[in-house]
Amino acid sequence: MNISEDMVKEIILEVFQQMQGADAPAANQVAQAAPLQFREIGEAKPGTDRNEVVIGLPPAFGTAMTQTIIHIPHRDVLKEVMAGIEEEGLKARLVRVNRTADVGFIAHEAAKLSGSGIGIGTISRGTTVIHQRDLQPLQNLELFSQSPLVERETFRAIGRNAAQYAKGEHPNPVPVRNDPMARPKYQGLAALLHNKETQYVKPDMASTEMTVQL
Amino acid sequence: MAYIAGVDIGNNSTEVAIAELNRGSQPRFLSSAMVRTVGIKGTLRNILGIIDALDLALEPLTITRKELSRVLLNEATPVIGDVAMETITETVITESAMIGHNPSTPGGLGLGLGTTILLDELESAATEQPWIVVIPGTVEFREAAERLNRATSRELEIAGAIVQKDDGVLIHNRLHRPIPIVDEVLHIDRVPRQMPAAIEVAAIGKAIEKLSNPYDIATLFDLSPDETRNVVPIARALTGTRSAVVIKTPRGDIQERRIPAGKITLIGRQQKAEVQVEAGAEAIMNQLAHVSPLSEIQAEPGTNVGGMFETVRKVMADLTDQPVSAIRVQDIIAVDTLVPQKVLGSLAGEYSLGNAVGLAAMVETHKLPMQRLARKLEIEIMVPVEVAGVEAEMAIHGALTTPGTRPPLAILDLGGGSTDASLIKETGAIESTHLAGAGDMVTLLIDKELGLDDLDLAENIKFFPLAKVETLFHLRHESGAVEFFQEPLDPRLFGRVVVISENGPKPLDTREPLAKIIEVRKKAKKKVFVQNALRALVSVAPANSIRLISFVALVGGSALDFEIPQMISDALMEYGVVTGRANVRGVEGPRNAVATGLVLAHAAKESG
Repeated sequence: MNISEDMVKEIILEVFQQMQGADAPAANQVAQAAPLQFREIGEAKPGTDRNEVVIGLPPAFGTAMTQTIIHIPHRDVLKEVMAGIEEEGLKARLVRVNRTADVGFIAHEAAKLSGSGIGIGTISRGTTVIHQRDLQPLQNLELFSQSPLVERETFRAIGRNAAQYAKGEHPNPVPVRNDPMARPKYQGLAALLHNKETQYVKPDMASTEMTVQL
Repeated sequence: MAYIAGVDIGNNSTEVAIAELNRGSQPRFLSSAMVRTVGIKGTLRNILGIIDALDLALEPLTITRKELSRVLLNEATPVIGDVAMETITETVITESAMIGHNPSTPGGLGLGLGTTILLDELESAATEQPWIVVIPGTVEFREAAERLNRATSRELEIAGAIVQKDDGVLIHNRLHRPIPIVDEVLHIDRVPRQMPAAIEVAAIGKAIEKLSNPYDIATLFDLSPDETRNVVPIARALTGTRSAVVIKTPRGDIQERRIPAGKITLIGRQQKAEVQVEAGAEAIMNQLAHVSPLSEIQAEPGTNVGGMFETVRKVMADLTDQPVSAIRVQDIIAVDTLVPQKVLGSLAGEYSLGNAVGLAAMVETHKLPMQRLARKLEIEIMVPVEVAGVEAEMAIHGALTTPGTRPPLAILDLGGGSTDASLIKETGAIESTHLAGAGDMVTLLIDKELGLDDLDLAENIKFFPLAKVETLFHLRHESGAVEFFQEPLDPRLFGRVVVISENGPKPLDTREPLAKIIEVRKKAKKKVFVQNALRALVSVAPANSIRLISFVALVGGSALDFEIPQMISDALMEYGVVTGRANVRGVEGPRNAVATGLVLAHAAKESG
């Protein structure tokens, strides 16, 4: 039997609707967060400031999508990551990586643009990577692969650790919870969010420098 | 012509030397091998390791086991050591009176003096006096900063802040008027309110100056001479930190308490002495030297030391099939050390350095059941097996094959559980001794002083030189030398302190800086190995004078350490002794001394 992509989508939607049916009141009450006010400055250039950590975001982050898989508004994600960097005495720089929705490549692009060589890549559903420019794109310094387990405190700690790497310190990796149920429970939703994320990718467009009003 | 094999079963490794024996001439050594000892030394499980080692040595010679005419085993001296640690001081806070800790990023700079107050009560606070604001973790840093700014705009004097979360820099960056801020105070609810308090934050890379000085604390809080005496432990605990808070509470008190750690009874041949463990290592070792030669050492039951003594005796009793009551502890070594300890009753999980005494004990009995092992081995390999010589004597015969040595020669065997020394005089007479404390004790000291709680990690730190991975393409060795790599290193090594093991760099899971780890490692090795090398040599030297020994050769595993031979050589320099790592038969280095000695002694007996 041939399974087309459309069929998979349909099945996922159906399963997801049933799941929503089970705990409908809670799921439906979550209001969508407001989009963020980004200001685009132009094409992103590699930084020279050793004092910065670059945060790389895919096109849908904070615009078409406004919250992570566990409903943390993207505004709070950026607030926490930037606070973590600031607390360590470093500066955060924002870059929109237009050409991919892959968290590893986004983080690697951010690292290559970063004056310190350290970058953070966060995609809309919350999956995050701390990267270093000399690494291969699919390697990482720290990887937070299970988006449902990345919480507000985790984002703060990610910012803090990235800044410490940039200072040449050796932080203990951010503790990550492990939940064997996260995968079965969220896999369908994650697939849908991934589909949505990739729709906004512009493969031929260079990365853009941004600021944000939080 | 006959082939013979010398086999040395050690605590860690089993070594073999194979030689060809022709009547009337010196034995000709053909090969050697080394494997890990299987099971505890002296037990039947050793046979597996012996056969393995024999096969390994015979393989390049194309000789089978059956062609061996004799296998010689050493009469191993059963020595077992163990280590324990007794903490003898601790800091106790009876009421919350100080926060002296080292958050990596406090906010602001300088010294502030005021009265503690909750952020929520600030709205209604009076303007006459300065305040130190307590900010719980429920308040976000933006809001906290805003409320502090509002307070200063209505002429309230804010002298500093104590923050629960890691928000010090964030809040400070948003204030109109800068203040010192101490953050990451875990138990913020225990900070007393409406009490006079002082807060100090030093610049990056500096330590606080005022709150670590008892007279400055006295000046700030207007203390009497008696009260000043009471703040000494506070000042001491705050020394070296980057930020601190001291709060004056009516009954608040910090004490440094000495914990009774039990006593040790030293029974010498002529006299007997008792010494309290909390008196420290120096007192214990002085008494030991005074009472020696020792016949037995007893520890008070129910203490850590007592427990450790029991373990050692029990292991030895099991090994030799003797009752525990017949086993006696014959030597101890005590070493002073500082151990990071959680301050009892603290507010931010502070640590202070407590004094501790590390102790190693050693038991020795007369004979291991080596004959039983020999008989069993004989059945297994169908070659005559013989228990041929005492370990200490064989080792020194083997060590004498080192080019450039002659009697009087002393050897030092720095092992895991004990430090052994023997001396051969010009007459051929041999003296030997076994002392407590060696590699295992160094591992324990490193583990405790760095607060690692991981003996494997401590073992790695002991064995290998350190380096810091600075980028993915280069690392800086502890000597300062830089090494570059063509291929990027494993990302898990990025920015970390690593040990350079034989399998390449291995990351250390600790936040201690490189320099601190090096210092702790070197100090631990000096305290144990150098002290014990001197103790051991004095006890075997003619007239107990090291000067009368001409040559000292280091044998065994620790002789291969990258810095211990150097340390011992430095310590023996003043005695005019030639010190170095043995080079058995000119090829084996510090290994294979006993196995070689067994073959040589056998050959001498045959021809003599």
